[in-house]
Amino acid sequence: MKKLFAAVFGLFFASTLSASADSPADLNDLEIAHVAYTADNIDIRYAHLALAISGNADVRAFAQTMIQDHEAVNAQALALLAKLGANAQNNFLSQTLNANAEKLIDEMSQLRGDDFDRFYAENELGYHEAVNDLVENTFIPNIDNAEVKALFEAGLEIFKVHQGHAEMMVAKLKGM
Amino acid sequence: MLLSFKHLATLTLVLFVAFSASVHLATAEEGTTHTVAIKAFKFDPPSLNVKAGDKITWINEDLAPHTATAKDKSWDTGRLKKGQSKTIEVTADFSLDYFCRFHPNMKAALQLEP
Repeated sequence: MKKLFAAVFGLFFASTLSASADSPADLNDLEIAHVAYTADNIDIRYAHLALAISGNADVRAFAQTMIQDHEAVNAQALALLAKLGANAQNNFLSQTLNANAEKLIDEMSQLRGDDFDRFYAENELGYHEAVNDLVENTFIPNIDNAEVKALFEAGLEIFKVHQGHAEMMVAKLKGM
Repeated sequence: MLLSFKHLATLTLVLFVAFSASVHLATAEEGTTHTVAIKAFKFDPPSLNVKAGDKITWINEDLAPHTATAKDKSWDTGRLKKGQSKTIEVTADFSLDYFCRFHPNMKAALQLEP
């Protein structure tokens, strides 16, 4: 399922990139901030769905952590934007992420029990792998503002821990 | 007004008891206060020697909220946001292994000295 998710995520990116002259590497700091804020909110939505559906204690604990950590990062991002007197700028990549998330939420909403738990866990792993790669290798090298860059570096540290946590959750659910 | 011998003796006794009590309290509170920073998703230091009566203060320097929670759940700092801290006194039967409830890979341990 992880490979399936990665394939869907990748195809969605590829189709969007081929249809547009834009690429993630061309985004400015405010557009990158919008993408990150969007990606955080998507993971928060996944987590709320998990809390609504899952009865698995590990899955629920992970979802609670996703909500509080991503909310903490978003609060810091909004504070920094306010300090800089700037607003995040919507862009093609934020829209792509949101459209992809809508489909996944529709799909996950139909699942129950172990099927939901495994899908959620594998999606979390794939999602964090994909976003972390984007943040580390495309966004951080291209961010101009030092404070924005520092916030992304702090965020990446958190999201890599989430990725490791998701790996543990996937392995545990496979053994059940 | 002059104090009678009886009053003077009573006052002396009261002062002595009060002084003794304060000395006793000071002795009981003499334990060391240790500080553990929570930063970059690690407890720093990850290992700490403590004695019963010592106090440990955990300070979260990370953006993400954390806890310091005994492995057997017998003590817990509760949720610490960035910049928040919590101090807990070490008891003779203090549980020594602890972790972050939100990020279970974060683990650390205390060593209880006699």
